[in-house]
Amino acid sequence: MMSDANYLSVVFNSTIRMMTPILYVALGSALCNRVFIFNIGLEGTMLTGAFAAIVANYYTGSILVSLLAAMISAMLVSWVAGIFMVKFKGAMLVVGVSINMLMAGLTTFLMQTIFGVKGAYVSTDLVSLPKVDVSFLGRWPVLQTMFSSLTYLDLFAFVLAILLYFFLFKTVTGFHMRSVGINKTAATSLGINADRLQIGTIAFSGIGACLLTMGGVTMFAQNITAGRGFIAMAAATLGAAHPLGVVVGSGFFGFAQSMANMLQNSAISSQLTMALPYLATILALAIYNFTQHRR
Amino acid sequence: MRNQSDDVLLRMDGIVKCYGDLVANDNVDLHLNAGEILAVIGENGAGKTTLMKILYGLEQPESGTIWLKGEKIRVRDTAHAIANGIGMVQQHFMLFDPFTVTENIVYGKEPRRGLFFDIDGANRMVSDLSERYELPVNPVARIKGMPVGLRQRVEILKVLYQNAEIIIFDEPTAVLTPQEVNELLKTMRQLASNGKSIIIVTHKLNEVMGVADRVMVMRNGKLIADLPVRDTSIEELSFMMVGRRLIESAIPEIPPGKKVLEIENLCLNGTGSVPILDRVSLHVAANEIVGIAGVSGNGQFELVQTILGLIEADSGKIQVGGQDIFNHPVRSVRDSGVAMIPEDRFIWGSAAQAMVVETAIMGHYRKQEFSKKNFLQIKKIRSFASKIVKEFNVKADSILQKTGSLSGGNAQKLIVAREMTQQTPLLVACEPTRGIDIGAINFIHDRLIEKRSEGAAVLLVSSELSEILKLSDRIYVIYNGRINGEFLRGKVNEEELGLRMVGSIKNELQ
Repeated sequence: MMSDANYLSVVFNSTIRMMTPILYVALGSALCNRVFIFNIGLEGTMLTGAFAAIVANYYTGSILVSLLAAMISAMLVSWVAGIFMVKFKGAMLVVGVSINMLMAGLTTFLMQTIFGVKGAYVSTDLVSLPKVDVSFLGRWPVLQTMFSSLTYLDLFAFVLAILLYFFLFKTVTGFHMRSVGINKTAATSLGINADRLQIGTIAFSGIGACLLTMGGVTMFAQNITAGRGFIAMAAATLGAAHPLGVVVGSGFFGFAQSMANMLQNSAISSQLTMALPYLATILALAIYNFTQHRR
Repeated sequence: MRNQSDDVLLRMDGIVKCYGDLVANDNVDLHLNAGEILAVIGENGAGKTTLMKILYGLEQPESGTIWLKGEKIRVRDTAHAIANGIGMVQQHFMLFDPFTVTENIVYGKEPRRGLFFDIDGANRMVSDLSERYELPVNPVARIKGMPVGLRQRVEILKVLYQNAEIIIFDEPTAVLTPQEVNELLKTMRQLASNGKSIIIVTHKLNEVMGVADRVMVMRNGKLIADLPVRDTSIEELSFMMVGRRLIESAIPEIPPGKKVLEIENLCLNGTGSVPILDRVSLHVAANEIVGIAGVSGNGQFELVQTILGLIEADSGKIQVGGQDIFNHPVRSVRDSGVAMIPEDRFIWGSAAQAMVVETAIMGHYRKQEFSKKNFLQIKKIRSFASKIVKEFNVKADSILQKTGSLSGGNAQKLIVAREMTQQTPLLVACEPTRGIDIGAINFIHDRLIEKRSEGAAVLLVSSELSEILKLSDRIYVIYNGRINGEFLRGKVNEEELGLRMVGSIKNELQ
């Protein structure tokens, strides 16, 4: 009995840790969807943030500077993507794919020039985010396991979802954002600067895309995101671009990811278990679209 | 009389606006007095909409000045226009369907409480406004599913909420039922008596005569006349607008021939709780124009799409010339002798990116005259396109230009030309004259009548009642997916049709 509870709490803990990087990006993606932007460049943005964090970490050893570097660089890349999508009316898919390819190449190249390594860079000199101290939960070992080795950023993801919910549905700016997504022409004709709102949203959506390397992982590898930017987009769609729905959507993928990790130790071939999050993505989107279509 | 004064509130002097080589506004002057209703009339492309866009900040003039209350202003954008008390009720409503009435009205000028949108306060303000101007609305209702008249009321309230003193109405009656039109004209008079100044852009002359104090006529970008309504007549205005006399051709009486289109008990359930089409039975005979009158959204377009095979119906019978076409694919329906002028020229009727010559044969390119062994007969197609462009007076620089670069009226003429030139026993015409000018409307009407005289059956769907009444030998009223009355020519007036269209009179039989 106890071991079952223990097992579940481990799964829960790992789900949380797996889902938060997705959740940050998914929230950004949801905001983009709300202003009628399909920002496929989030994968590349995520890579940018992850890389910038490691570089800043390497040079300064400061968590705060790394975090800021990641946020600013990811935002800049997103902002450029936004300019191309909105101002120059570039096809969103093309701009997004370009960002992804550019960043995949650029980060790999810069990794070699800066760290002089190929493939992956790991160093014990890198500082990682401090973990939330849960020793006060010592009396409840299950709870302690559930919330152990989480960072404040992990917890903040959930707070951010709630904040964004209020922002989108209760503030005037959020109201304008939703209106731009519904009918941009009307919004423009009513004196709203829809272009600026869209570009701003895209830029903002980049901020969250930086946390991958900050939490559990203090390393950078070629293509470290491994499609998680795309998974985040799927999570945003599944959550109907509603901040709280996105939490559920990200949780689903976090769970799939953590199951994949757990099953690596089992008898099932690891090639199969590694594919689990991606299979879950396809399946979930197919089911979601099917139910939407039937409605 | 209204408390109309001679104080000039707004003056536009020597406005010039060019689009490339086209001079849309050629040195146009306009003035508007406080509390006055000014009608700006002209054919499509006469420049009246351009002039209003300049006033509302949607376009910038090449030259010319705008004076508001004696002060020179430059309207940079719509926000600036609104700030100056200029509001516009656009032809295409600028509403957000999923939002509520209040959210739409206060949009852009939302009351706030702290960080948040004060929705309760907004609701109260909208209620007050709605009472003050006697324009009843439910502030918390969502726009989605609202009838057009009500949507327009929301638009008017929006302009009033923005404290507009000058209200521009762009073709406001194009989509309304006769009752809604009367209601709107009443509202306009009331607004004027409350001190608002109103500009209506329209090409419907009886409305001008009914509501306006003064009328400005525009033609080819120029101001032709500016005169008080009481000093003019519909005949004079239409002559000035078009630049020639319009001859209303009498419709020759021809007895209907044998039935071409027969529909029996057609049902389309759709996804809602109410069926979209409910046991619709009708027929159209050779030498006959049959009109379907209805407020849009009552199933008429689904009816047409079902006939064409674009939507699969649930049950019923559809025959063309005795041949069953129920739920047949579009191609076989068209091959059985059906041509269609679709309701929306750029969604269903043409591809904006296609060349005029391509649009001219769209849907008919498989015919022998246009293709042989899968190869297009370019020469023949071009000469055909040139021919119909000329015959139907489509104003195009070249048959190789993009369809999307034609004006709406000319694109419509091109589609009408295409569908009429194909010698089909049945022509389904959906809103054949929507948004085009009087001259072109008359031209298309004459072609429809000609088509009928040649022995074709014509099914005419139109939200323009005058068009239905003028052309139809027989009229069906459609309401909530049901046929709500059938009348022969001359046996019904506009009022009764209007009441049946909104279901105030129901068919006893059902």
